[in-house]
Amino acid sequence: MTWSDDSQTRVLYVQTHGIDDPGRSATPFFLAAAAAAMEFEVMIYFTMYGPTLLRKDVVDKIGPRGDQGEPLRHFIEQATGLGVRLLVCQPSLALNDLSLDELIDGVGSSAGRRSTTSRSRPTP
Amino acid sequence: MSEPAAPAVDKVLDCAGMSCPLPVLKTARAIKELAPGQVLELLATDPGVEPDMQAWTSRTGNELLGIANQDGVFHVLIRRAR
Repeated sequence: MTWSDDSQTRVLYVQTHGIDDPGRSATPFFLAAAAAAMEFEVMIYFTMYGPTLLRKDVVDKIGPRGDQGEPLRHFIEQATGLGVRLLVCQPSLALNDLSLDELIDGVGSSAGRRSTTSRSRPTP
Repeated sequence: MSEPAAPAVDKVLDCAGMSCPLPVLKTARAIKELAPGQVLELLATDPGVEPDMQAWTSRTGNELLGIANQDGVFHVLIRRAR
């Protein structure tokens, strides 16, 4: 998963918190969705404990407000529905004893690709 | 931003009671369901909707036809550009 070559305006969000901190689970998806609505090209990069938020068996069970309010899947699909792409750090999968198969569909891996971060540019 | 004649509305999106950034997210999706030239009317109570929709239309190229506050509800008219 890489950036398009023609986009002038890219935003990369980096998610480092995982399922142990559900209060921090939804906001990156919200911010990314808002940037995508503004027609930026947007990715969220899941590193450290971030990949745990994308587990198939997790997205319907946790949310930023616990048992109240929407589950995490709602916020994920709100973002991806606007074109946000999700990318996991391959070494962080190993850190969390996860494989790509255990994550929701559509998640890309950083393995063997050109570096996402080196090709992104700061946005004013 | 006065309107001599109110344009015909092709779709109404009711975001009353929703807070930022939901009206923007839903507008971004709703406008794609219209054909270029068609008009979306967004209803919202979030006070941020006025600067938000000015920024959003300016950035996306869609045309902001007007924003009117009627009894606390913002009526935002947007024409899809492309």
